[in-house]
Amino acid sequence: MKEGNGNHDATTHAGMYYVELLLVGLIWGCTYAMMALGLTLVYGLLRVLHVAQATVFTLGAYIGLLAANHTGSLIAAFVTGALAAGALGPLIYRFVYQPILDRPPFVALVASIGVLVAMEDGFRLLFGPYGLSFEDNVWFTTTYAVAGMTVNLVQIWMVVAAVLLLSAFAVFATRTRAGVAWRATVSDPPMAESFGVSVVGVRYTSFLIASVLAGVAGVLVGLLNNLVEPGMGGVIAYKGLAIIVLGGLGSVPGTLAASLVLGVVESYGTVFLDKLLDRDAIAFLFLIVVLMVRPQGLLGGR
Amino acid sequence: MRTLAPSLLTRPFQGEGRGGGEGTDRHDKEEVTMAIHRAVKSASTTLAAAALGIALAAPASGQSIRIGFHAPLTGFAAADGKSALNGAELAVAQVNAAGGVNGRKIELVVQDDQAKADQAVPLANKYIGEGLKIVVSGSYSGPTRAAAGVFQKAQVPYISAYAIHPDITRAGDYVFRTSFMGEVQGRAAAKFVGEMMKKRKVTLVTLNNDFGQSLSAGFKEVAGKFGIQIASEYSYAMGDRQFGSIVASVKRDDPEMLYVSGYFFNGGPLVAQLRAGGVTAPILGTEGFDTHNFIKIAGQAADGVMITTSLDRDSKSPETRKFIDDYEKKFGTPVDMVAASTHTAIKVAAAALAKAGGEDPAKIRGAIAATRGFQVATGRISFNALGEVYKAAQIQVIRDGRFRHQATIDDPQLLAPPTK
Repeated sequence: MKEGNGNHDATTHAGMYYVELLLVGLIWGCTYAMMALGLTLVYGLLRVLHVAQATVFTLGAYIGLLAANHTGSLIAAFVTGALAAGALGPLIYRFVYQPILDRPPFVALVASIGVLVAMEDGFRLLFGPYGLSFEDNVWFTTTYAVAGMTVNLVQIWMVVAAVLLLSAFAVFATRTRAGVAWRATVSDPPMAESFGVSVVGVRYTSFLIASVLAGVAGVLVGLLNNLVEPGMGGVIAYKGLAIIVLGGLGSVPGTLAASLVLGVVESYGTVFLDKLLDRDAIAFLFLIVVLMVRPQGLLGGR
Repeated sequence: MRTLAPSLLTRPFQGEGRGGGEGTDRHDKEEVTMAIHRAVKSASTTLAAAALGIALAAPASGQSIRIGFHAPLTGFAAADGKSALNGAELAVAQVNAAGGVNGRKIELVVQDDQAKADQAVPLANKYIGEGLKIVVSGSYSGPTRAAAGVFQKAQVPYISAYAIHPDITRAGDYVFRTSFMGEVQGRAAAKFVGEMMKKRKVTLVTLNNDFGQSLSAGFKEVAGKFGIQIASEYSYAMGDRQFGSIVASVKRDDPEMLYVSGYFFNGGPLVAQLRAGGVTAPILGTEGFDTHNFIKIAGQAADGVMITTSLDRDSKSPETRKFIDDYEKKFGTPVDMVAASTHTAIKVAAAALAKAGGEDPAKIRGAIAATRGFQVATGRISFNALGEVYKAAQIQVIRDGRFRHQATIDDPQLLAPPTK
């Protein structure tokens, strides 16, 4: 942008402004999608609202950041962040959810919230209260000008990672034996088991997939904010719940659509409704409005 | 400067915890989740508070004078709580090294308020029950505001180090504040932008809590007087770290300068995103950015960012120099505004104890109220009839990753705090 207040190409700019807001919203939507897909998987399988996914997200971000600052490589950040997250998720399943699976779902929800709250202070004790930043966040400072808009490499990677990982998941779910077994387990666990599907194996796989997605999202959000902090998962966890409800609980396409729509609504909302409502309030107001009109969610059938 | 809404209910949806800072109940709640969340949280905090109470309320050594000090040592504001405690501990160490107060050592009785208003009242009663005669708040507006009334009623002098809410000192004549009120700091910012930077077209980006809104209100109140025209204003929430929409809007508005409020954890990402998005206009921030963490987060983008604050890193005053040098030696981290503010408040308390010559609360109160031109880490301070402070405002600029002196605004008329 030029210095001062010249009204250079003002008209193109005005039009591009709305496009840029749309783009911003879609990028946010990709973050939400990576988080919400995992929540949907777990909900579909266990009927558990996996709030502690935010803990997995935050751990991924911390480990990724430490790896990046240690090795100087952002690729290392993604690998280690995904590994750490991928390890933590199944552990949470094994030690938190599995022992109480025969209880009503709210018991698991309480346990999940307990993990989230405890680990928020756990991260604070482990990594300090101030939050940590990347020493050399080259992706953030590498920017591209496209038609008057500026995007940085992290934003591009956010979209690329979301598309790649979610496509990989789609291929897995529809084209592989394991995927078919997984879908069978979601719709009818006893039947799937009688056909020799390992229900337990499917559960671990689901937590693994959900957690790797969350870990990658955590590193990306850490890079976008250049800040990894103990409470960074909180907002996204609760919003993730809103998204899976919006998407029509358990529906993968619905969840993805809801993620993108919510990102865009927030993007416009933060500019045009900012005097009335803050961003999170916009998100939940949108949820309420949608549920009043379409109780089954955005894409829900029924 | 900090605030915290008393409503616990709003907290979880703002996630982050820091979200607890917005004075709003607008969030729609999922009752069940919230109730559970609250139950878990309060059980764990009760335990933590009990443990801490036992650890910290150990019997006082007979001779020393005890000063109550509460700060958010855990919870979302723990980062500031840590700086707050560091600043206070340094002040105590310096006072004791210089011979103490009237031949007696001083010591802190520390409690954790988690930056929550509901923790503050029991905590205040505990101090009063233990017979403490002076208490300093190293916390945000929520708990400080709640405790102020309790201390006023018990006639125990109470000093707020950096909480900004106007109602704090209105609790009565036993309550004082050593930091700028938001409006005062906002007025200083307007003078700097209009008169010194000579910028006319300004965009405000405001954090939508007491802190951000009072800063912007002060700025707007006198903007016209300094020839400033507000081109646009955007606001954001405490939990926000992503500002793509605001960046796009600022680019469209193309202002000559930006006035941005918030804390380092909002401001760092915001400034970085503005610069990465191609916004080159100068940025003036607030004392919420006054910590090295802001520079760590914003990285290169921090360079050239200016802030209004009360700590001048390039000050020649021996009191400020000694604070900066001793702090960095003792804690190995750079000073920040929060540490300087609690350091100031403890120094004011110690000086008042010395002047009062004993532990008579009325005399201590009188001594604080009579403070005029007292040299502390944050400059020369005086109190007015309401217990609000007057001091010069500092404009600092970040150069090569460090805060440096840019300007000092010493304008008693413009920066006069309210008297009622």
